[in-house]
Amino acid sequence: MLYSFLESVKYVGHLIPISFLRIFLGYYYLEMALQKVQSEFLYRPVIAELIGEWLPNSRAPHWYKVLFGTYLLPHWQGLAFAIVGLEMAIGLSYLIGYVVRPVALLGVLLCLNQLYINGPNFEAHNKLLLAVHFMFAWLGAGRCLGVDYYFYKRQRGLWW
Amino acid sequence: MRHFIAFISVVFLGLGLYFLKFQNQTVAPVTAQKPLLHVITYSSFAADWGPGPLLKTEFEKTCNCEVKFLEVADSGLLIQRLQMDGAKMGVDLVVGMDQFDLDKAKNKLPWRDVGAMDVKWVPEVQDATSLNTFVPFDWGFVAFNTRKGELSLTPTSLKDLLNPSLKGQIALIDPRTSSPGMQFVFWVIQTMGLSEGESFLKSMVAQAHSFSPGWSVAYGLFQKKQAAMALSYITSPIYHLVEEKNEDYISLEFQEGHPQQIEFMAVPEFCRNCDLAENFMRFMLSEPGQRIIMNKNFMFPVLTGVIAGTPFESLPPYKKVAPFRVPTEEEIKGWNEVWNRSRQQP
Repeated sequence: MLYSFLESVKYVGHLIPISFLRIFLGYYYLEMALQKVQSEFLYRPVIAELIGEWLPNSRAPHWYKVLFGTYLLPHWQGLAFAIVGLEMAIGLSYLIGYVVRPVALLGVLLCLNQLYINGPNFEAHNKLLLAVHFMFAWLGAGRCLGVDYYFYKRQRGLWW
Repeated sequence: MRHFIAFISVVFLGLGLYFLKFQNQTVAPVTAQKPLLHVITYSSFAADWGPGPLLKTEFEKTCNCEVKFLEVADSGLLIQRLQMDGAKMGVDLVVGMDQFDLDKAKNKLPWRDVGAMDVKWVPEVQDATSLNTFVPFDWGFVAFNTRKGELSLTPTSLKDLLNPSLKGQIALIDPRTSSPGMQFVFWVIQTMGLSEGESFLKSMVAQAHSFSPGWSVAYGLFQKKQAAMALSYITSPIYHLVEEKNEDYISLEFQEGHPQQIEFMAVPEFCRNCDLAENFMRFMLSEPGQRIIMNKNFMFPVLTGVIAGTPFESLPPYKKVAPFRVPTEEEIKGWNEVWNRSRQQP
């Protein structure tokens, strides 16, 4: 596995800049997730306050507002858990370059949601992250300096 | 696909186990020696520099209890938070609602009637003392603040704010998320009426430096000299005088009068230490309590005689833009709509 990790530089070396971006973003997401775990994000309705504050004024479709306002807001703890879990999965996946493609699609989904619930101050930030996740999924950013190359060599397929 | 599912499962399983372990630790029953009074308030009230910690220390000296503050980012979010979790969190006392929150609070939650308080109220809050469930604890006039000599034209009325020399200079606050922001919309509509007020607010968009989500952000921009004026309180210059020995800050008196903000506290029906909560209310209305609030929150006290001999006494008596009343939820919704329309591009 270590051999293929280094070998990836030889065969898909053009992806090195993307891999650095992936690793940086992985670190960023993991740090965000750990901060949330150590803070009161999972135990106090921080996310419910955010949603309550911004969602009514956001440009989200009506069904989305109803879904969050009526069904997800009362179960804020599950939602907070899902957000932290996803951030952690994205962080770990990007750091080691494992299952990057499907995880990047989860990142796209997460950013789409954050666009509506995080308020206008973070809109540009989330749009940018969304584009980066999309590029990772498109390029298969785990194939260089990542575990994905090992599996790609053996199993091929769209997932790597 | 198998790899992906396994990976996600492992991450969530790990997080779940950590969560369960930590939750068990936090909810483990602790035999409290003293009853715990849960007070929910906005963050600047409970912050180290706010009145909360000192009130807590002084009250705990006599109550044989422990006071715990629960915080929300802004007073506008108090009711929302209480609705979601108030009973579960065991909130005993709510501190920091203003007159714009009261109708919503009355409609959404049950409140305990605490009866009339034996207090010598200042005349400025007399009209707000007969609500029984909601008790005023401080008040202030909303006003624009600036620094001496920074403006080429010193506004003396709302319409002066549209002067071209003030373009991009005024730090405003979003009324949807913050109470002083709503006070500004109320001020405009009360003075000019709905239709003229809406066109005035539209014109103000060009004059605004920014629309911050809360008072502290807007005032921070003003303090960093990014904006020449900010919507704040007439008591704000006192803060700079007392804490920074800086006499440059002034509040501007407008000929239309100024909106008056009165802050209230109340005990929800689901309180657990209800008597303790009422005692804390009484302490906040006592002379020592009022002094702490005045000196740390930089708002006027509601108790007669407390401002004597303090810098607050030197402030001129500003005119009210309208007598005290509690606006209905419908009215506030309408004002928010006016604000939304005024922010839309023509």
